[in-house]
Amino acid sequence: MRGKVARKTIFAFIGPAVIGLAAVGIAPLVYALWTSLHFYNLTKLKRVEFIGLENYWTVLTDEVFWQAMGRTFFLLGTALPLQIAFGLGIALVLHQPGLTLLKTLARLSLVLPMATTYAVVGLLGQVMFNQKFGVVNQLLGGADINWIGDPTNAFAMIIFWDVWQWTPFVALVLLAGLTMVPGEVEEAARLETKSKWTVLRYVQLPFLLPGLVAVLILRTADTLKLFDMVFTLTRGGPGSSTEFISLMIQRVGFRGFDQGLASAQAIILLIITIVLAQIYIRVFYKEVN
Amino acid sequence: MKNLRNLYCSTAVASLVATGAVAGSHGWSLKDAAAPYAGTTIDVVFLLRPGYEAIEAMLPAFEEETGINVNIIKHPYENALGEQVRDFVAGGDLDIALIDLVWIGNFAENDWILPLAEVQEKFPDIVDPNLDIDDFFPLVLNAFGGWNDTIYGLPFDNYSGLMFYNRCMLEEAGFDGPPATWGELKDVYGPALTGDGKYAFALQSKRNETQSADSFARVLWPFGGSFLNDEFRSNLMSEESQAGLKFRQDLMQYMPDGIVAYDHAETVNAFAQGDVAMITEWSAFYSTVVSPETSTVADCVEIAPEPMGPAGRKPALGGFSLAVASQADEAEQAAAYLFIQWATSKENAREYLERGGVPARQSVYMEDGLEDFKFVPALVESWQDGVPEFRPRFAEWPEITEIVQEWGTKMMLGEVTTEEGAQEIGTRMEEVLEAAGYYSGDKPLAQ
Repeated sequence: MRGKVARKTIFAFIGPAVIGLAAVGIAPLVYALWTSLHFYNLTKLKRVEFIGLENYWTVLTDEVFWQAMGRTFFLLGTALPLQIAFGLGIALVLHQPGLTLLKTLARLSLVLPMATTYAVVGLLGQVMFNQKFGVVNQLLGGADINWIGDPTNAFAMIIFWDVWQWTPFVALVLLAGLTMVPGEVEEAARLETKSKWTVLRYVQLPFLLPGLVAVLILRTADTLKLFDMVFTLTRGGPGSSTEFISLMIQRVGFRGFDQGLASAQAIILLIITIVLAQIYIRVFYKEVN
Repeated sequence: MKNLRNLYCSTAVASLVATGAVAGSHGWSLKDAAAPYAGTTIDVVFLLRPGYEAIEAMLPAFEEETGINVNIIKHPYENALGEQVRDFVAGGDLDIALIDLVWIGNFAENDWILPLAEVQEKFPDIVDPNLDIDDFFPLVLNAFGGWNDTIYGLPFDNYSGLMFYNRCMLEEAGFDGPPATWGELKDVYGPALTGDGKYAFALQSKRNETQSADSFARVLWPFGGSFLNDEFRSNLMSEESQAGLKFRQDLMQYMPDGIVAYDHAETVNAFAQGDVAMITEWSAFYSTVVSPETSTVADCVEIAPEPMGPAGRKPALGGFSLAVASQADEAEQAAAYLFIQWATSKENAREYLERGGVPARQSVYMEDGLEDFKFVPALVESWQDGVPEFRPRFAEWPEITEIVQEWGTKMMLGEVTTEEGAQEIGTRMEEVLEAAGYYSGDKPLAQ
């Protein structure tokens, strides 16, 4: 009887999920697309009009938009390699045999940064990196470093918090990948060579690749969307030094109230995210035979 | 001037309505007027500032007498406009609009608020015969509550820029009073009061409304500059505007590092902790710096008007009015009006002042026993000579302030020169004004 499931039954099972997805995910997207083709300012709703691709042209020719995009990719390019390097290191340590209790505790503690609300991370940062009273300057021997008011330091601070919060996620994903390596294969490899690098490169890495691709896609999307932590920590400042693309979209849409332009920015960001995800999958993803 | 005259006419109409109410309602009382609306709940946005805490502390008396419930939704300043705009666009719950003076064009042009006279005409029985609208400082009533010849809101949380100075630090450095001019502040007081982790001055300059209102505009006007000229074109490249902006750059050497990250809280705190000798801040922060609970220099705090520039004093002007929301139903509109009238009344002005608020009633500042409120003489002086268009009040301000915030901060960080920044602001500002129809004649050149 396999393959003979009635069409009605299939729709009954899949239909609710499709309808739910359409209502929650697709409808707002279509609305954003519609808005992006209009002059749509919340404080000028009497003047809503169709303007075609004008908002997209404004975005694509706006130097400030591309500066924010560049800043976002610079953050991605610095924070993500650090997260992968530290995450891999932690995963390899936790993959070692023995010390079961300590490893369990370590795995549990890894969840804490991820479980901390983004906005709370930002507020913690404000307190800890305060120039005068912050614990960071105290730990640096009473240093007088201006973290929040200096453009370079503020950017470094954002990288620090992003790495702190998301390295555990990378570590846990990679640890899961390491547990997929068949024990006999790993053991045989260790008998063949004493080089840990060789074991990692030729035995463990193939099993890590699906997890790494997932990390790349998720962390890229997360970084492009990064908002709460930066908003509560620096609000994009000083100047524009930490104004990442999502902060810019929020500023245009909810402080300047230009929903049309903000929607166009968001659609372009979505396209960039999808393209990047496809590139990651095509370049990096390989199934282990 | 024409606008001001028309506004006074509209004020007179409101006064007449109030007078009519006197004639028609002998023995008016808040309790009787509110009786039909007892049990009504009204929603209003409040800020996290001393003036709002003051009225909140007084609120039980109003609720007890009227039976009207006031539901307060608190927001920091930065969120208040967005929250209200979304509520009004969505036809939400707010019955009262809290309006910064630069938002009033926006609120009025979108018909989110009702003219005061319209509410009074609709509900004549609730108009207090002692409203005495002429008792408000005319400049404040005009700037905070008026738009396009019509009064919408009554001034509620009222600010003028004042100079707060630490008398002890100044005396220690050999000064017997504050600087009279901005030039003196920079050239004489700056070097003498800066050093050993202490700074002569702090100018709150964070990239939000603080950058455009408290920092950028503050150095434009006293030097003779302005955002716009008479034709509504950018005036930021004028010699006077550039002088002000360059002055700010020079003055930064006497301010704490990272001043572009200082909002009101950081600035007031730096002064209250004795790290900074002088700040120019809103009168609303007076209660914070003189309270021993929040200030280590409470005994040393003195107040003066803002320093003068080549064009005069031109102090910062800011503040909020309360207006009845058009989206409220009839009972809510009446209840909202009663609350606004009560909160801004002559009768409550003294208590509001004593609890940390700053009323805009002239009569309260003529009373005896105000010696403890050191800011009063400077405040009254500032409200005689303020600039209503300190920040342009038209509906396009939310877009323009974002441009000023971005490029004003870049100037301060040295990422662009004052000329480059002013040019960029000017170009972008004119694009916004052109799109709004000011240059095509669709909109009058009014603010």
